[in-house]
Amino acid sequence: MIRLTLSQMRRSAGRLAAAGLAIVIGTAFVAITLLAGNVITRTTYDSIAAQFTGADLVVRGIPADDAVLDAVRGADGVATADPQLMSYQQLEAGSRTIFQGVLAEPTDTSVLPLEVADGTLPEASGEIALPTDVAERLGAAPGDSVTLVRNVLEGDQESDEDAWTEVREQLTVSGTLTDPYGAYSMQGGAAVAPAADVAGWEDDLRAPGEEAVEPTTMLVTLDDAADVEAARTSITGALTNAAAAAGAGTTDLKVVTPEEHAESVANEMTGGDNVIFTTFVLVFAAVALLVAALVIANTFQVLVAQRTRTLALLRCVGADKGQLRRSVLFEAAVLGLLSSAAGLAAGVGLGQAALAIGRGMDLGVPLPATVTVTPAVVLIPLVVGTLVTLVAALSPARAATRVAPLEALRPADAPSAARGAGRVRLVLSLLVSVIGFALLGGGVAVSTVGEEPSMGLMVAVAGGVLSFVGVLVGAVFWLPRVVALAGRLVGMSGPTATLAAANTLRNPRRTAATSTALLIGVTLVGMMSTGAASARVTMDAELDGRYPVDVTVSTDLSSDPTAVAAGEGSVPAVPGTLADTVRDVAGVATVVESPATAAQVAGDGLDEGLALTVRAVDPEDAASVLRSTEMVTPLAAGTAVVPEELSEVWGITDGQALTLTGPDGTLEVTAAVTDLRDSGLLVMPDDLTALAADAPVTSLWVGLDDPSDAASVVPTIQDAVADTEAPADVMGAAVERAGFQQVIDTALGIVVGLLAAAVVIALIGVANTLSLSVIERRRESATLRAIGLSKGQLRGMLAVEGLLIAVVGAVLGVLLGLVYGWSGAAAALGWAGTPVIVVPWRDVLLMLLVAAVAGLVASVAPARTAVRTSPVEALASE
Amino acid sequence: MDTTVYVPIPDEGTAARPTVTPAVRARALTKTYGRGEAQVRALDGVDVDFAAGRFTAIMGPSGSGKSTLMHLLAGLDSATSGQAFIGSTEVTGLNDKALTALRRTRVGFVFQQFNLLPMFSAEQNITLPVELAGGTVDKQWLGTLVDTLGLSKRLTHRPSELSGGQQQRVAIARALIAQPDVVFADEPTGNLDSRSGAEVLSFLRRSVRELGRTIIMVTHDPAAAAYADRVVLIADGKIAGDITDPTPESALAGLDALRTVASR
Repeated sequence: MIRLTLSQMRRSAGRLAAAGLAIVIGTAFVAITLLAGNVITRTTYDSIAAQFTGADLVVRGIPADDAVLDAVRGADGVATADPQLMSYQQLEAGSRTIFQGVLAEPTDTSVLPLEVADGTLPEASGEIALPTDVAERLGAAPGDSVTLVRNVLEGDQESDEDAWTEVREQLTVSGTLTDPYGAYSMQGGAAVAPAADVAGWEDDLRAPGEEAVEPTTMLVTLDDAADVEAARTSITGALTNAAAAAGAGTTDLKVVTPEEHAESVANEMTGGDNVIFTTFVLVFAAVALLVAALVIANTFQVLVAQRTRTLALLRCVGADKGQLRRSVLFEAAVLGLLSSAAGLAAGVGLGQAALAIGRGMDLGVPLPATVTVTPAVVLIPLVVGTLVTLVAALSPARAATRVAPLEALRPADAPSAARGAGRVRLVLSLLVSVIGFALLGGGVAVSTVGEEPSMGLMVAVAGGVLSFVGVLVGAVFWLPRVVALAGRLVGMSGPTATLAAANTLRNPRRTAATSTALLIGVTLVGMMSTGAASARVTMDAELDGRYPVDVTVSTDLSSDPTAVAAGEGSVPAVPGTLADTVRDVAGVATVVESPATAAQVAGDGLDEGLALTVRAVDPEDAASVLRSTEMVTPLAAGTAVVPEELSEVWGITDGQALTLTGPDGTLEVTAAVTDLRDSGLLVMPDDLTALAADAPVTSLWVGLDDPSDAASVVPTIQDAVADTEAPADVMGAAVERAGFQQVIDTALGIVVGLLAAAVVIALIGVANTLSLSVIERRRESATLRAIGLSKGQLRGMLAVEGLLIAVVGAVLGVLLGLVYGWSGAAAALGWAGTPVIVVPWRDVLLMLLVAAVAGLVASVAPARTAVRTSPVEALASE
Repeated sequence: MDTTVYVPIPDEGTAARPTVTPAVRARALTKTYGRGEAQVRALDGVDVDFAAGRFTAIMGPSGSGKSTLMHLLAGLDSATSGQAFIGSTEVTGLNDKALTALRRTRVGFVFQQFNLLPMFSAEQNITLPVELAGGTVDKQWLGTLVDTLGLSKRLTHRPSELSGGQQQRVAIARALIAQPDVVFADEPTGNLDSRSGAEVLSFLRRSVRELGRTIIMVTHDPAAAAYADRVVLIADGKIAGDITDPTPESALAGLDALRTVASR
């Protein structure tokens, strides 16, 4: 029986290979996921191992105070021992500011995994060695000086407002450093300063008398002759004694080699994150495998149907049902195992290639040279791939046992699979769909109307999953009807299309399964892009309110209105040319100049002597730059728009009468509180003139062409402003806004990329189904050719078939995706205001286009086989 | 397109009918398969004419080359050498596009396996060739065909709802719908019981005598060949005999003679 099965497999090799491709892609996906997890672990390990590369031993789990350090240094064989200390400090040079981690220089500098590129390591207090890229950004070469800006705590910060003092010190750059092993790539690089300096900076952050928090990791080097194990024992002994003397415990104490240390830290770090990452990606791998299973089940169904005669013959000569079932399952197991092995190889190959490309691209993180193939990476894809194939073949295997011996005696005819499916299935799928959609709707209602977002989202997700299962299970009933409808539409365009439409309906079950495979992927992609688009628009509305001005350039933020109003000092004006400078920055659409003064604000219940910045803007100008004009709508003569925040802080109420007193006059206004975010009141320009005749322009409101470019435009504005040396602050609300959008876009991109695998597999399924149909319809194609179908028409017929199957799957998928995406966005974002329902037209059209093109492409290879069929074959008598 | 008006010709026997120009001709038609030692001459320099408006049977034992001859005449297969003509068109020199056009308008086929499209009704099957060619169905001609073939009550049925004989009659109607110059029938009764077979053969003969069509039928059954006006005998890839107005007995005798020759 096995030999027979194998020879049958050889005969159907082409068909099996096409089905196997689906499993190959699915398992490759799984393998890559697991490999990626390994690479992350490996990268973490390498980075940590590099940090300790020069050390002989690492002592952890005990605060490295002087007693401990002395104990370690006194142990047998120990040459040097230093705590691993890093302090984050602000460095400035010119107008550039950088936050940089600074390492305390160890006694034995060979412990440092850094290499000196230029100059030397710091040799005296007041020196610092900078990473090459940092030195470049600060424009500092060895010998130059940079400013260290740090805070010193001199009193009790709870009781004393002036406990913190800002200290600016000049440091001399002794040299520049490279990080060849990427030891500090995850911390943004490391500068090095003398240990005493770094310890001093850290000490200054603590209140006088506050107990020091010592680093708990020490790097130890040994004498050349020393034995590592002996030293380890000696250090442990010395520390245990020291701790006992101090009355402290040593339960966490570990004296380990750098390798052991890296391994334990890597495990601690990646245990959590890595599992989440791997699980997340494996969910998508599961979707891909589910789709692959559909393709496989379809293929086997057809193979069994085509072999009906052979199977019946086998039954005639004595094979029992069990043997036939085992034969089909054995075939599936062989196919599954071979495809999974190929998928594994492909996955490892692709992973290695991606790693090689990644290394070439200089991502800043040193990637390992080769992927780490663990037993799990090999076994999981093999087992999962084989199991999925076997499970997919269960139903076809049962079909094989149903072949009656009698069928061997009937005249050969085109095999036809069982039509339709049972009533139980229909009822079940209807029930599950109805309940699912009801739950989905209920979840949305609970979230938006009931304002219970987490509860609503949970119910909606459960409903979504349930309804999708119902829809998929019931696909065999309703999908062929939709295809029939679509077929009738295209059938009007001519006889070729009529033929194609009729062909898709010959085997409704197969057409349904093929379309369903595509439907799954498209629904999920559609859901994600609709959800993201809805989320983006909903967030946009929210962000418009929160960040109405893309970028503000302002000089009045640092001045104190109370002092200015009292005639002490003035609000510095923005230099007259700055507006033009900003306007010239590429990506800037509009710049609105806003003058301001400081005025005393008097009103019922307000603090005596309250002074605030009063800003003026022309409402029309404001409208040209604001993303949301709602907050300045009340702006009119005699009205001051009061930002909500100020109203809360100072107790100004909406509609309250205020008296503003400026340097040149007094103004009676009515307060209008809006959710404007600003540091001052907003009035009409004429009103401001009444307060201060020549109020200087102190802020620029900048509107960008496209706020999503903020990440690149805002720094340009910052640089342009910094170059003019005007004392202006640049606040890029747009950066934050762009950040939000980028998070959504990136997440969407990743998810869609992951789901793409499922879509690709489904498209292979379309090609596979067409190929099988072509093989089945060999005689028919020949007949059609004999009665006058041209080669072009034959190709066209298959193209329309592919198109019908693919486009129907895609259109239905998009529709379902819209429903799920909207529901999901409504349930998840109900709290962030009314969810806006959006159709992501670009994505929808793209998906339909991809499906259509793929449907056409899928028909190319089968069509080539079909046109090669000579009309003579129609005459062959079997 | 042939625009002749077909007037049913009374059955007077072939002798009384005027001699007509050949509808199909073969000249030194040769087809070989394989090379060297293994070379087989399926057809060996055949010269034969088939008259228009006649029902001709090509008969011979299995492997005699009768099917090959038909494939070459119909342009379904390419000849190794020699020429085949339908009317004045040389079939052997045409490319696939021209052959497709030829099949649409001037040649019809009837197959042993009927080869109807299962998803279409009888009527859709009959009119398919015209639709594929982008033409309009001549309703009057369709009516004539359907009446002659006794299919008027079966037009809406699917092939699976028709008997073998009915299916083959639908196939004959499909072959004739475009009013082709010639219809090739390949063992049209091979899959039918004798009664249905006789019925189908009668219809083929009526198509020739009453509708003026030209039919060339390949068969190995002397009883079937007896329905034809003429039998061309073929053996070992060569023309081996010619019987006019055959009877089952004369056809069988001709076939037997071939076998005797072949076995010697």
